[in-house]
Amino acid sequence: MRWSPPTIRRIDGVIAISDEWIVETQDLVKKYGEHVALDSVNLSIRPGATGLLGPNGAGKSTLLKTILGLIALTSGGGKVLGHDIATEGAKIRQRIGYMPEYDCLIPDMVAIHQVRYSGELLGMNSNSAIQRAHEVLEYVGLRDQRYRPVSTFSTGMEQATKLACSLIHDPDLLICDEPTNGLDATARGFMLDTLFQVVKQGGRSIIMSSHLMDDVERICDRMLMIHKGQVIAQGRIEDLKAIDREIEISVWGGASRIEEKLKDMGQSVRRTGRVMRITRIDESTYGTIIKAAAETQVQIRKMEDYEPSLEDLFIVIMDRLGYSVKSSKDLLGGPTPTMDHAALEGRKVA
Amino acid sequence: MTDEDKFGLDDLLEDAQGTLPTMPEPTPPPSEAEFMGETGVVTGKARMEAAYGTGEGEGQGTAIVAQSVTADAGTIFHQIYRPWRGKLNPRWVRNWSILRHHVYGLFSGKGHRPWPITTKLIVLIVLFGSLLPILSMAMSTLTGVEVLKELYGVSRANLWGHVLGVFHNTCCWPLLTALVVGGLISEDRQHGTSAIYFSRPITRTDYTLMKYISAALILSMVIVFSYCAYYAAAILLNNEGWAYLLDTIPFFLGGLVAAVMLVVTFTSIGLGLSSISSGRFFPAVAFMGIIYGSRILAFLIQLLFERDTLYLISPYDNLAHVGQWMMGLNTTYDFPAAWSFVALLLMNGISLYILISRVNSLEVTRE
Repeated sequence: MRWSPPTIRRIDGVIAISDEWIVETQDLVKKYGEHVALDSVNLSIRPGATGLLGPNGAGKSTLLKTILGLIALTSGGGKVLGHDIATEGAKIRQRIGYMPEYDCLIPDMVAIHQVRYSGELLGMNSNSAIQRAHEVLEYVGLRDQRYRPVSTFSTGMEQATKLACSLIHDPDLLICDEPTNGLDATARGFMLDTLFQVVKQGGRSIIMSSHLMDDVERICDRMLMIHKGQVIAQGRIEDLKAIDREIEISVWGGASRIEEKLKDMGQSVRRTGRVMRITRIDESTYGTIIKAAAETQVQIRKMEDYEPSLEDLFIVIMDRLGYSVKSSKDLLGGPTPTMDHAALEGRKVA
Repeated sequence: MTDEDKFGLDDLLEDAQGTLPTMPEPTPPPSEAEFMGETGVVTGKARMEAAYGTGEGEGQGTAIVAQSVTADAGTIFHQIYRPWRGKLNPRWVRNWSILRHHVYGLFSGKGHRPWPITTKLIVLIVLFGSLLPILSMAMSTLTGVEVLKELYGVSRANLWGHVLGVFHNTCCWPLLTALVVGGLISEDRQHGTSAIYFSRPITRTDYTLMKYISAALILSMVIVFSYCAYYAAAILLNNEGWAYLLDTIPFFLGGLVAAVMLVVTFTSIGLGLSSISSGRFFPAVAFMGIIYGSRILAFLIQLLFERDTLYLISPYDNLAHVGQWMMGLNTTYDFPAAWSFVALLLMNGISLYILISRVNSLEVTRE
């Protein structure tokens, strides 16, 4: 099990996070004039690591600001870590560590004092903040660099400093906006390992917004996909992958014939040379493929379930929704055949 | 020499092997788990350096390469998440930290806001410059020269001049304000530092208020402090009594209020300009442009048309006019002091409106 439930902790004796949800919203709507940034968003995020995906302008930033309790909602409501989004923004932000995507560090300050100051802004006293700043900077791998001005840091070190700033008060929930932005492979790996440790070892929760599917897949066991202000998919990544379940076959002698036959039999086929992928509807799809092979006298040399990556899933969903999506029901009504029970369980439709 | 006495190289080697102690086989260093379940010799330092390029920019002549797996020395990097069980303090502690960050930074850059050295220098020069009348007054007391006493002694005109005189308001206070206030908010916008504030339980009201108080406090440390010091020094140096105090306190207080009004007005305008900018250059130049430009324009209009009503657009002249009225001096403007007071209120109101609305536009996620 990758995640262990967080313990009940501090903050004025207020109850700690529910074992069920860390973020829960009901019909959340945020409009900027005529523009609808969030449209009836119903979220249920469990403790652990959750990836937040969506194209540019999907509403990710607005959603993050909502979770931070920073914006006045047009309608709807919700709770973050047990606190009301609309009225308890300050309490929410005391328990959240936010790591912004863009620069947020004072260039001429040394890292240790930058981190200390960010702790003081949360209400830590100076002594605690400086002590904790040493700890977290060591944790993010900047122990020997902590007395250097931030302006002399590489991008990786700046990202690590931002992470240290967000971890200084040991938050229950860490929100990371593109944490690996601009990092090379090694620094990216280190950052992801560190975030994974926060969840695995520290028992904290993470919401990670990223364009890099690999990053999300490496850290998160759940994901949340939004598009045009609507939640189009959320749940366990493994379950959601079932949306795009395919069977990959390698054939010999008449690839065109079997492709045609399968299409005649109502299957969705994608072909590259002698390798083709057939959308898996249910268990009977295997039989249909074998039957098609027998009828067309084609050898099947290999047949296996194709494991889609998160990127595949993202592309499939985005292709299906296109630019005219009005509702996530479009996803259900798309050309992909009926999803199995696991996929349906894993997805909550807005 | 017989055959038995002969010996070859092999004999020598055999002898040497017999006498030398046997060296033990090198044992591999104990392996230790690092994290993420990876095992092997821990070379966390090398890993950190590889990740962050820590050798860069430190003037090292040699390249840092990954350490050998068999290395038995080096810093062991254990990545262990340690929870924090402390207590977060209430709102006033957070606000105090903002205030301290800005004000202490002027005296010590270590751990606080890194003010540019030029700003620190100008603050120091202006402070010493504004304390010079005390020195002159001390000299007049020591020498007993009456002319010096008249020039530098405490009077309505001299107290007014200390705060609202043309010299101070041309060469000192505007420059001081431009340097101190210019970057306070604009640099947060420039560097994205606003995200650090607003992603924490700092409200925009607290942020604006603390920035305002910080700027006003720094300006007051020079303008108001030097004014009070000047008055106090006059009492001490001349060994004045209660009668003198009773005589001078009313216009001293009038000057004090005028000084506070100057600090408030300059801070409002300066911060308003800072909030609409990114970087400290524009607000600083714009502030000086407003102070000097409005005066020059009003002066030209007065020269050309013999009407001085346009001085109402000049923040300095409004302050000077109200100050003259409060200290009981003859006013040098043709319109009532109430007009200047209303103009000041309007200027402050507009500046604060701009400040508040622009601070509301500071983003957490993206600028």
